[in-house]
Formats: sequence, structure tokens, C-alpha cells
Amino acid sequence: MRAAITIWHKHMTKLRLHPEEAVGLLIQPIMWVVLFGVGMRGLIGQGMGIEEEAYMAFMVPGIIALTALGAAIAGGVVWLSERLQGIVKEYLVAPIARLSILVGNAMSIVTKSVFQAVIIFIVGALMGAQVSLNPLGWLGGLVLVAGYGAGFAGIALAGASKSNDIGAYHMLIFLFNLPLLFLSNALYPLEMLPRWMEIGARLNPTSYVVDGLRQMVFENGAELAGGETLSLGLCFVVVAAFAVLGMGAAYMVFRKTVQ
Amino acid sequence: MPAPTLLYSSAGFSYDDIMNENNHSESVIIAEGLVKRYSKDVLAVDGVDIVIPANIVYALLGPNGAGKTTMISMLTTLIEPTAGSARVKGFDVVRRADEVRKRIGVTFQEMILDEELTGRQVLDFHGRLYGQPKAKRRAKIAELLALVELEDAADRRCATYSGGMKRRLELARGLMTEPEVLFLDEPTLGLDPQNRVSIWEYVRNLKADLGLSLLFTTHYMEEAEQMADRVGIIDHGRIVVEGSPRALVDQMGEDTIRILGRGDSRAFVETLQALPFVETVVEGESVIQLGVDSGSKRLAEVVTLANTDGFTIDDISVAKPSLGDVFLKYTGRQLRDK
Ligand SMILES: Nc1ncnc2c1ncn2[C@@H]1O[C@H](COP(=O)(O)OP(=O)(O)OP(=O)(O)O)[C@@H](O)[C@H]1O
Ligand SMILES: [Mg+2]
Repeated sequence: MRAAITIWHKHMTKLRLHPEEAVGLLIQPIMWVVLFGVGMRGLIGQGMGIEEEAYMAFMVPGIIALTALGAAIAGGVVWLSERLQGIVKEYLVAPIARLSILVGNAMSIVTKSVFQAVIIFIVGALMGAQVSLNPLGWLGGLVLVAGYGAGFAGIALAGASKSNDIGAYHMLIFLFNLPLLFLSNALYPLEMLPRWMEIGARLNPTSYVVDGLRQMVFENGAELAGGETLSLGLCFVVVAAFAVLGMGAAYMVFRKTVQ
Repeated sequence: MPAPTLLYSSAGFSYDDIMNENNHSESVIIAEGLVKRYSKDVLAVDGVDIVIPANIVYALLGPNGAGKTTMISMLTTLIEPTAGSARVKGFDVVRRADEVRKRIGVTFQEMILDEELTGRQVLDFHGRLYGQPKAKRRAKIAELLALVELEDAADRRCATYSGGMKRRLELARGLMTEPEVLFLDEPTLGLDPQNRVSIWEYVRNLKADLGLSLLFTTHYMEEAEQMADRVGIIDHGRIVVEGSPRALVDQMGEDTIRILGRGDSRAFVETLQALPFVETVVEGESVIQLGVDSGSKRLAEVVTLANTDGFTIDDISVAKPSLGDVFLKYTGRQLRDK
């Protein structure tokens, strides 16, 4: 654990040394909210027959999930470049658990995702989404984001542990990325989806984090999901399982490459 | 392949004495039948047995691809051996890897630095990784920056360092956690002569410190000759000969006569072998090399004999023997300096 925190701390130090990356982390989610919010709410919101403010509350959780995906992919690139540069060797000859190396990387990813999620909440609220007044809901929301971030960080780190160049990595991640976003309730309510997509969405952890956020973080967010919502308990269970599975996968793949 | 030959200088300690009296307890590194096979075709290390006593500097000398880095990787727990076993400070490198890791410092063949960090941050991060408390880290960093003369550059990003400065920082990092055994894989690779000298100066200073054993690899024979107490010459994954540089070189005779020539060398070599003043005759791919009692005295005689035996000499030179000649003797090939 100490080693994981040390590696996390190093990544945060680097972030401080690179204000441009920090600014990017800040700007990117704002852009998503503004572009999606302004550009799409008329179009889709009308199609769904809901008001513009309500559409924001509907949309923001999806943007959070999307941003967490982006943070995980970027974190995977960091890990890949440490592997390719050989920096990993410094970790490997140190008396630390192999898993803690991955956990440190995942912690960096999760930190960035949570930070971005907070920004998105704030911007979303400024743009009219009605935020719930229950702080426990906010906390629960951040826990969901963190769990989802860890799960996808695991997938990204597994991909980055297996690939030997950046192109192969992006190809691999691409295969996960798109279905995780589009085969979910992030953009449309579950019941508006065709049957086969709805099944896919129900198998997709993204749906659970998005639905959980809608329920906990926004006023009347639940109704906006189109009437049918997933149970909150289930959301937490699915996201926790996703986090464990993702990190487990990363560990398995990483261990093989070390042999 | 012949079994590895052990030689020791009469002046220094006797190798066998160390082995017997201390029954391996004073040995920092013991490898037994160490093998690493990367794939069906690549057998990088092919059954190495070495015993390295404590508090000495040991050099693994060999050409590119000999298996030096692979040896170091196994001893530093980076990769697992395919067969055989190794212990560092008495701990098995596979089963007790964590105990080994606590006791070693490593610098790798390639530069491995997080270039976005400053020199000071690199060292601090390393210390944290090993759980060193803050005060300890601070003291150690100050001490090591002074040792490798990087105090002025300590708060600059490593990306701005020269190659020599990076190497020195890596050396400091390897020493950060006060290792009992230090592994340096080609520590002077790619450095200009001036930086090579200063790296070895630091190492020499360290050697004065008690309790540090050092294993380094190189393909520069002068480095092995000057720095090492013992040298293992490695080729094709096997240790072909091992001993103190002095003893290895001494067996080559007082002087070496090196002959490049054309024609049938067989008769000539036979003649040479029969001469009383010739201690060794080594026939390489393109050279014949003699160890003799006195080069300048015997040169004329050797030339005459070549004429008699119908061997045409293109070039002949006299030199003090080096580990390169030892390498030639045991492998039949030249150890080329890059
Ligand atoms: N990861 C690897 N996978 C496959 N083969 C490898 C790997 N690492 C090294 N080899 C091969 O094993 C052999 C020994 O390599 P090694 O790096 O140990 O040699 P070396 O003595 O360190 O050489 P150099 O002086 O060039 O550093 C070489 O033939 C090399 O190509
Ligand atoms: Mg090497």
C-alpha cells in the first residue's frame, strides 16, 4: 500500500509539474458538458419529450462516465510508456508487491476521474441541472465514479500490460471503449433502446454508474431515466464487482508479462 | 566446451580457502547451474556456476549477447531462471525475492530515469518506494548528490542532464537504499572517457566503504582489469574462465606476440608449441597469439621460423597481455572493444 501511494504521489507530482495536463483535465469535461448540453439538448431532449434543464440532469452522468473512460485510457498510456521506457524495472527490483504497482496507477486514474466528475457536476449545475441537496448522495456518486474508474483503469492497465506499442494499445482499448459508451443508458433511456441494445446495456457496468448517479446526485434524476430505474443497491454491487474484476484482469495480465 | 577454469593469484586470497573455510557463508552471490532460455532458439544463459565472496568487486566480462544482462536480471529478481538456482546474501532469488530486493541496488544497462522529475525527486521517490523515512532520505540524498557531484543540477529536470550526469544519478539511485550488494550493468556504456573515469572513481571510493559487494558487467576489458578483484569471462551464456585479473593475465606469459599472416599455419603452430620459451599458443580466426617470456627478445626468432615453415607474416606486434588475450585464448575469438 505504501508503494501504491508512492507511485500515486509521483503521478500527482508530475501533474503539478505539467500545468498543461491539469488544465486539460479541467477543460475537457467542461467542453463535453457545454457541447453536449447546448448542442444536443434541443435535439434529443425534444425527442424524449423532456425539458432542457431535465435533459442536463439526464446527460451529465453519461458525460461523467465518458470522462472516466478517457481518464482510464490516458492512465493506461502512462503505464504503457513506463513499461516501454523500462521505468517499471525500478519498481520490479524494489521490495514491493506487484499488485501495488498497478494499484498505484489505478489510484492516479481514479483521482483524476473523481476530480473531473466534480467539475462536471459543477458545470452541469451551472447550466441548469437540478442538483440534489443530499450530501450523502454526492458522496455515493463519487464512490460510484471511483469504482467505475478503478474497473476501467484495470481494463486499460491490462491492455497496456499486454501491448508492446501505443498503436496496439489503442486498438485494444477501442474495442472496449465504444460498446461501453453506446451500449448503455448514457445517451438514451433504457426503454427507448431496441431490445438487443437494452440487453447489452443491462450487462454494461456503465449503465449502473450512470443510473446510480442520476438517482443520487440530481433532483428528479430518476424520473428522467425514462421511468424505469435500476435499483441503487444493484448499482453499487455491479460497480464494485466491475472494479474488482478490472483490477484482477490487470494483475493477471501484468503477472504474465513479468515472467 | 571446456569446464570453466579457476585461477587465483598467489598474492591474494586463495579462492579455495574462502570456499572451504567459510562454507559459503561469506559468499554474497552463489549461482548453481543457472539457465535462462527465452525461447526455443535463444539460450541466453547456459548453466552458470559462480560463487562471489563478500566485499569484492566482481566483473562479468563478455561480448555483446554473451548473457551478461540476463545473468544480472536473474540475480536481481527481474526475471526467473529457467533452471538452476541462485542465492544473494543467502536468499533464493525466486522463493525469497523480497529479501533479496531489500538488500540490493541496481543500475540497468539502458538509462532508466523518469525524465520529467528532477534529480532530487528521482532519489526521493526511490527512497520512498523502499519505505525510507523522510529524514533518512534527506540525509542520503545530500550525501549521494555530493558523491556523484550533482548538487548544482539536483533541482533541474533530468531531461536536461547530459548522458554522464544521468548515469551518475542512476548510480546514486542504486546506492540510495544502502544496498549490501550493488549490481551495475555496463555502467559506463556510451559515456565519453572523462565520464567513464569519474564513474569508476565514485565506485572506487565506495569500495572503501565497508560491507558493499559489487558485481558489474562490461565489454571493456580494461575496466574489468582495473576495477575488479575477480573476473568471470562469459561467452555464449557460459563462464569460460574465472579468476583474478592478475592471475588470468599472468598465465598468458610475460609478453604477447600477435601475428597476422597467410598460408598454412599448421606446421608453424606446431613448431611454436615445441619452443621452450613459448608458454601459450592461441590460434584465433585470423590471428596467432603467443605468450612468451620476453617479446622483444623472441620476435626475430619467431619471424625466422615462420619463413622456414612457409607462413607469410603480414603484421606482427608485441604487447603486454590483456584480458582480451585471455578471452581469445578461451573462445578462439577476439573480444572487440566497441
Ligand atoms: N527478453 C528477451 N527475449 C528474447 N531474447 C532475449 C531477451 N533478452 C536477451 N535476449 C537474448 O539473449 C542473449 C543474451 O542477451 P543479454 O542481453 O543477456 O546479453 P549481454 O551480454 O547483456 O549483451 P550486451 O553486451 O549486448 O548487453 C542474446 O542473444 C539476446 O538476443
Ligand atoms: Mg547487456
